[in-house]
Amino acid sequence: MSWFSLKRLGNGSQEGCLPDDRYPVQAPSFYELAPNLSLMWGKEFFLGRYSELGWKYETVESKQAIRVNSMNIDKDKLVKRLGSRGVRVRKIPFLDDGYWVSESRFSLGATSEYLLGLYSIQEAAAQIPAALFTALKGKTVLDACAAPGGKTVQLAQLMQNTGAIIALDIDKHRLVALSNQLERCHVENTAVYLADARHASQLNLKLDCILLDVPCSGNFTTDKEWFGRRTLKDVERNAALQKEILREAVKTLKADGEIVYSTCSLEPEEDEMNIDWATNELNVQVEQIDCYGQKGLTDVFGKKLDSAVVNCKRIWPGPTQGFFVCKLKKRGSA
Amino acid sequence: MIKPINDFAGRLNTEISLDENMVVKKQDRHFLLNTTLKRLITKDFYYAGTYLGKTKNGRFFPSFSLLTLMARTNANKTVVDKKTEWLFICGRDIFREGIVRMIGAKKRGDYTLILNEYDECLGFGRLTHNLDEDKAGVLVRNISDVGDFLRRER
Repeated sequence: MSWFSLKRLGNGSQEGCLPDDRYPVQAPSFYELAPNLSLMWGKEFFLGRYSELGWKYETVESKQAIRVNSMNIDKDKLVKRLGSRGVRVRKIPFLDDGYWVSESRFSLGATSEYLLGLYSIQEAAAQIPAALFTALKGKTVLDACAAPGGKTVQLAQLMQNTGAIIALDIDKHRLVALSNQLERCHVENTAVYLADARHASQLNLKLDCILLDVPCSGNFTTDKEWFGRRTLKDVERNAALQKEILREAVKTLKADGEIVYSTCSLEPEEDEMNIDWATNELNVQVEQIDCYGQKGLTDVFGKKLDSAVVNCKRIWPGPTQGFFVCKLKKRGSA
Repeated sequence: MIKPINDFAGRLNTEISLDENMVVKKQDRHFLLNTTLKRLITKDFYYAGTYLGKTKNGRFFPSFSLLTLMARTNANKTVVDKKTEWLFICGRDIFREGIVRMIGAKKRGDYTLILNEYDECLGFGRLTHNLDEDKAGVLVRNISDVGDFLRRER
């Protein structure tokens, strides 16, 4: 029995699975039915999956990237100022405000420019999601899993500090980091709550846009121990949590509102398969997006997904870390 | 609610115009909201709008956002050179040699905002002696600087 047919054994309810320590919920019966999932791990196992999905493993050296907080400074001025300190940067072609760091003699998290909120240190792929909303100025936006706040600051910048961002996170310690980011970058339009994204509807708000940068399994480019740490069981647990968050987000979204969903996981269960599920189960459609990345997979380990899933973007590790992003629109009749 | 903020502005020899209706207090922290946030937020927020500072044991500790707002007024200001900027954000005091220009503060105990050569606010400090005294050594004692963003997360 192959790993994927094993995985199909428990096609019942996956609600309430345990994704990570920050989301304490009961373990599901699904994993009792298929305990061998926990044995499915290791570099060879996961690389086999990636190969089956059409990507050949290559060693990736992650590049440091920054995002200019153009709300606070002109991009060219910042590049010049950093240059005078011996920090060389070059524009990332597929991002508006992103720069690769080519050379730096000291920590980029300790310059006065950083402390004054003129730029943020943000991985290149992570700069993509916030920029995908159609228009943000004056809108009411939910950032459902917001800490440590890099994307929240980017949203505020795109909104030019107008409207409102409601930023949630489930971890109080991470709220401190989030709040510090907001203060450092002079964000003025955000309210932060200690809250679980799965209960977002308790805010009693109808949102124009929702950013779901959901908790995920991550990938090996940002975690050297990743292959030794993750099992397929973790992936399934995270996928189940992500579905819960997606379902709740759609509830709180206005008709015709937009959700941008992203993960830094390479596992299709957390990416295309979740979006396939959302298009079938929730009142959303996958919108076309124009950004860096390859088309979303529509044939995953022999399973045919909704053809609209092709509109998603999958980013295999390369110049950026691994990433997945897509935009969903709530159908107007909702 | 904004009295501690106004009092602090007075110590910098300036005034700040805030709409009191838009200022909310959460425990000991003060926040300035925009109109949308004012309409939307509930009492259980953790952080909202522009953080202005906190009152603790009767003392007001301004946020860097508030200091930045005050830097746009005619508050006392001390502009420092690049090297002194770096030392200041590392928590050090300011020597006379590192000062490019001073506006307002003259007497021992006067508060002054500290700006870099781009007029960006790095924090604030207090004069250790009268400006007209010909004394060597520290002229402005560091009270608070943006390096705190790094220190507070340690």
